[in-house]
Amino acid sequence: MSDITIGLLSFPALLFLIFLRVPIGLAMFLAGLVGLTIVSGDTTLAFARLKSETFTTFSSYSLSIIPMFLLMGHFATLGGMSQALFKAAESFLGHRKGGVAMAAVGACAGFGAICGSSLATAATMSRVALPELRRYGYSGGFSTATLAAGGTLGILIPPSIVLVIYAILTEQNIAKLFLAAFIPGILAALGYMLTISIYVRLHPASAGTRPRVTYAERLKALIAVWPVLLVFVAVVGGIYQGWFTPTEGAAVGAFGTGLIAFLGGGLTRHTLSESFYVTARSTAMIFFIVLGAAFYNGFLALTQLPQEAAAWVGASGFSPWTILLIILVFYLLLGCLMDSLSMILLTIPIFWPIVQELDFNLVSMVDLQAARLDGMIAGGKEIPAVLLSEAQAMLANGQELSREMTREIKLRGVSEGALNRVNIERTAIWFGILVLIVVEVGLITPPVGMNLFVINAMDRKTSMVDTYIAVLYFVCSDLVRVILLVVFPIITLILLPI
Amino acid sequence: MYQFIDRFARAFAILGGIVLSLLIVQTCLSIVGRSINTILHSDAVQASAPDLAERLLSTGVGSINGAFELVEAGMAFVIFAFLPLCQLKGAHASVDIFTAKLPERVNTLLGTVIDVVFALVIVLMSYELAQGMLSKLRTGQTTFILEFPVWWPYALSLVAAIASALVAIYVAWARVFEWATGQIVLPVETEEAQ
Repeated sequence: MSDITIGLLSFPALLFLIFLRVPIGLAMFLAGLVGLTIVSGDTTLAFARLKSETFTTFSSYSLSIIPMFLLMGHFATLGGMSQALFKAAESFLGHRKGGVAMAAVGACAGFGAICGSSLATAATMSRVALPELRRYGYSGGFSTATLAAGGTLGILIPPSIVLVIYAILTEQNIAKLFLAAFIPGILAALGYMLTISIYVRLHPASAGTRPRVTYAERLKALIAVWPVLLVFVAVVGGIYQGWFTPTEGAAVGAFGTGLIAFLGGGLTRHTLSESFYVTARSTAMIFFIVLGAAFYNGFLALTQLPQEAAAWVGASGFSPWTILLIILVFYLLLGCLMDSLSMILLTIPIFWPIVQELDFNLVSMVDLQAARLDGMIAGGKEIPAVLLSEAQAMLANGQELSREMTREIKLRGVSEGALNRVNIERTAIWFGILVLIVVEVGLITPPVGMNLFVINAMDRKTSMVDTYIAVLYFVCSDLVRVILLVVFPIITLILLPI
Repeated sequence: MYQFIDRFARAFAILGGIVLSLLIVQTCLSIVGRSINTILHSDAVQASAPDLAERLLSTGVGSINGAFELVEAGMAFVIFAFLPLCQLKGAHASVDIFTAKLPERVNTLLGTVIDVVFALVIVLMSYELAQGMLSKLRTGQTTFILEFPVWWPYALSLVAAIASALVAIYVAWARVFEWATGQIVLPVETEEAQ
């Protein structure tokens, strides 16, 4: 049996284990261990990797962002930020048709800006918003579905733990990925609000009304949100501006939210221990999956499967868009069964080499030359006026500058290689956001939507089926957004300079 | 027994949490130090109050040397220390949609086998970690900036890894016991949020 065959056979074996309820991290770990043993002939290599790989995975500087972000999310809740966000959103939107539900989505988006996890966002906002929704006569299934969908904004709006993992796997810049997720995240929130307003028009009985709030009260509620804004700007802004590394940003966020919670009286010895317990469980769970995936992917790399798969797909003659579509549909289907982080860790090492080879023409040579020329002008470089106006006219007409011209202008970074690098980076970012959205759809698709479970567990009076039916509207909104982002990559990439 | 193990696992989670908090504070201090250093070196300060800037800089204000290495060293301990609680509470992510329809007896057996294998894996992991530590001890490898021996963080992690192994063995034992006798040892916790 060739190594590639062993690699291929490991997929069904792994899926079999996972579907037998073996914890996903453990299943990947076992598949990796057994696979390495078979490929290398004995257990020496597999065990040798264990000697240091566990430690190096757990002591990874970039991964240490994860427990920090998790802790930050808990501190934010303890600091009353989820409450403040919901109150502010409610005071502005609450009186509209379906307004309290819209407010819940808005608050989820806000909380997503200081919390990197969907489950935490869904659970936290449910605690705050669910009682209010029920008080104003919103039906059970509609309320739980709204919060489940809103919760997915937690990983879409930066910071996001799943994006951190994606960035590490594909060796991309975390700050750029965060920035790229921003507009799709806002679009998601708006899409959900639109969905809500359609839903309440189709089912008028599913939502009650709430009296209008005075402007003075709105202003007061808005001002109470300042800590959220402060933390978001400090963390995400700081990371993007390069004031500090993403890990440092997470530390600043955790410290800041902790301080705010402490000053507000929300952080006591008891709640601090609780935060540690919850963070411990989620962190250990995530890291065990990361470890299992590292092991499994180490084995796959040894079998050469990812490279072979990429070469095969490249030679198959499928158009890049077909392949992208297949991958996205695959994620949607798998997302019905598996959680997002496991899916990313399991599949990106195989899919990324494939996608990397595809040419989506996200940036043309003309775009690149224009961007570099703008960069030169902004940098105050002197270019002869005649030459400059000629070059700009050509680029505006969509004409590439000739090599002689670029040499005369001293335009740098416009080689074919540079173009290729830019294209790969932008493909990685665009693909990452698309994947993030489709796996996050998995969080709310029946039967295994983690968010649905978490929220239904908090509202036992609502049947799971009611939630399932109502959530389909939100899934539709997600699908429309995915299609938009696939067809118009620029939506995702516009904030990123070439 | 469960009570004791529960307290043991929680103690490690708290310990991990404290180390995590210390790393967070250290990272923030390092950023503050670096910012002050940058401000003191800035043209505006150098022009307006050069003496003061010089005096303050001579106190050595700046980013913490090797903060990065301390985060890495500490984080390994944090993660290992978080593992016992996760293990005890069965908080690992799994897919149970296909097994939900199996008879309860089969499911119990499945759960037992999984937890026994899990315990074996964590014991193996701890054993190999110990081997890794011994090899670092023999080579005397030190970190790049702070030059502390690499085996130190390994040893710290090993303590927490052994704790995880003990808890995992306990969980496995409890599952086997439950399966054989039908008694309940590990309380079934209602799904806590988050």
